[in-house]
Amino acid sequence: MSADRRVVEEVVVEANERVATGVGLAALRAPRIAQSVLPGQFVHLRIAEGTAFILRRPFSVHRAHGETIEVLYQVVGTGTRWLSSREPGDAMDAIGPLGTGWSVPDGAAHALLVAGGLGAAPLGMLAEDLAARGVAVTVAQGAPTAERLVARDLFERVARTVATATDDGSAGVRGFVTALVPGLIEEIRPDVVYACGPEPMMCAVAAAARDAGVACQVSLERLMACGVGACLSCTVTTRSGLKRACADGPVFDAADVVWAQDEVEGLKR
Amino acid sequence: MSEPKVDLSVRIGALTLRSCVIPASGTFGSGREYAGLVDLSRIGAVVTKGVSLEPWPGNPQPRIVETASGMLNSIGLQNPGVEAFCANDLPWLRSQDLAVIVNVSGHSIDEYVAVAERLEREEGVSALELNISCPNVDAGGMQFGTSCEAAAAVTAAVRSVTTKTLIVKLSPNVTDIAGIARAAVDAGADAVSLINTLLGMAIDVRTQRPVLARRVGGLSGPAIKPIALRMVWDVYEAVSVPVIGMGGIAAPHDAVEFLLAGASAVAVGTANFVDPAAMTRILDGIEAYCRERGIERASDLVGAAHGTQSGS
Repeated sequence: MSADRRVVEEVVVEANERVATGVGLAALRAPRIAQSVLPGQFVHLRIAEGTAFILRRPFSVHRAHGETIEVLYQVVGTGTRWLSSREPGDAMDAIGPLGTGWSVPDGAAHALLVAGGLGAAPLGMLAEDLAARGVAVTVAQGAPTAERLVARDLFERVARTVATATDDGSAGVRGFVTALVPGLIEEIRPDVVYACGPEPMMCAVAAAARDAGVACQVSLERLMACGVGACLSCTVTTRSGLKRACADGPVFDAADVVWAQDEVEGLKR
Repeated sequence: MSEPKVDLSVRIGALTLRSCVIPASGTFGSGREYAGLVDLSRIGAVVTKGVSLEPWPGNPQPRIVETASGMLNSIGLQNPGVEAFCANDLPWLRSQDLAVIVNVSGHSIDEYVAVAERLEREEGVSALELNISCPNVDAGGMQFGTSCEAAAAVTAAVRSVTTKTLIVKLSPNVTDIAGIARAAVDAGADAVSLINTLLGMAIDVRTQRPVLARRVGGLSGPAIKPIALRMVWDVYEAVSVPVIGMGGIAAPHDAVEFLLAGASAVAVGTANFVDPAAMTRILDGIEAYCRERGIERASDLVGAAHGTQSGS
C-alpha cells in the first residue's frame, strides 16, 4: 500500500457525458490524484445526496492525463445516478489514488487485455501505459450490444488488434468474449493476460491463461465501505488467505484467487 | 489576541485522553490504514479492530449492505490474532504519539483472559475494550453481553489479569442495558462504551434471499443515533464510571448531544468511511460550541442535560 500518495482531494467535474446506454464518462479535474495514479487504481468518491447518509463509491480510474482523471460508470443505483447528474463545475470529494493496480512483468512484449462490459474501465489506462512502454497490446472486448462496447476508440487507437464479441451479434462474433480467449492466447502467445468484467468471465479467462501457462491478472469488484484497508468489508479469498480488494487489490494474480464457484465446489466436497 | 483554548481532554479511569473523540473499533483498522488521511495527533486514542487469541477468518461475502441512513455489516471479527497484532501493528502504534485502546474479543472467557494476559506485558497498550457485544459471531461476542451474570463473569475474569484501564463495550440488543452496565462496573470495569451495532437484516427482493451471507448483521450509522443516545442517557444515570458514547455520530452536534446525555468521550464509527476528516471536524465543532458559550472544558458538558430536566 503506497500510503504516502493517498490524498483527500476536492475534484471538479470538467465533463460528464453519456457514452452508451446507462453508461457515463466523467472527466474530473484532480491535479494531485492525476499526477500519481497508476493503471488499475481507483478513487473513492463521496456521494452527497442531500442529508441522506450514503457510503462512498469506488470507481476505477479509466484514464489520467494532465490534471484530469476519467471514470467510466454504469448507472445502477443511488450513487451512480447522483454521479450521472453532476454537471461541469460541480465539485465532489475524492480519496485516491487507492489500491494496488496492474503490474507489468519484466520483459513483457505482448499483452492480451480482456474486457467484459464495464470491465473496460480499469483497462483503458493500462492499454495506454503498455503502448507507451512499447508493449504490443491485443484487446478482446465483449458487451451485450455493439453500442455498449465502451472505450472502443481508445482500444482501437493503442491496440494492434481488437477482437469483439456481443451477446446479440451486433458486432464481432455472437456470444461471450471468453470464447475468443483460448484462440487468441494460442495465436499471439502473450506474456501476460489482463482481465476485468463479470466474475464468471474473469474465472474463465483465468482458466484459459492457466491452461496455456500464461500469467494472468484480474481486477475484482467487492462492496466497499472505507476503501482504505480498515474495515475488512471487501475481502477476497486467495490461496494465501483473505485479502482486501481495496488495498491488496483490486488487481490480483489470477492464480492466487479462489473463485466463488471453486469455494462452492470445495464446500460440496 | 488569541482566543482562549478549550480543554478537550478527558479522563477514562487512570487514562487521560488528549481529546474526547476517538474512533469506534472495527472502523479504523489499527490506525495505520488512515495515516496521512486523518490528523492522528488530534484524536484521543486509536481504538483497534477486535483482537482474539487465534486468527479468526470472519464471515463469508457479502459482508456489508447499505441501508437507509446506515449500513449493515457482518465482518465477523476477522483478525490475525493477538501475536500478529503485537508483532505487526503495535510497533507502528508505539512509534506514534497515540493512546492505544485494544478491542479484545473471544469465544470463551478463557480466550478473553488469554488475550488480556498477552497484552498485559506489552508497552504502548493504554487500555482494553472488552468486546462482549459483537452480533456477528456464533460463539462468544454478544452472548457475554446479553446477561448480567455473563457480563460480570467475563469482566471479573479479565479484571483479575490486567492492570490496564478496562472498558467494557455493551450491546444494545438487550432489554435493560443499564443493568448490564451495572454488572460490568460492579465486576471491575473502569468505564463502559456503548452502543455496539443493532442486529438487523436486509433481503434482496430480486433473489428473495438475505443480502448478507450470514443473513443478519449489525446496523450502524445515523439511523441508530436516537437509540444510542437514549441508552447513553440511561447508563449515565445507572453507573458512576465514565461512559464512552457512540452510535451514528456523524456531525459535531451529534457528539455534543452524546456529551450532554452523559458520555465523557464519543466514538465515531461509520462516519469515518464517508469522511476520514469526520473526527477532526467533530473536534472543531465541539471546540466552537464550547467557545461560543464560554465553556472552558468539554468535560463540563458531560451529563449537563440531566441537570436541566424538569419534572419526573
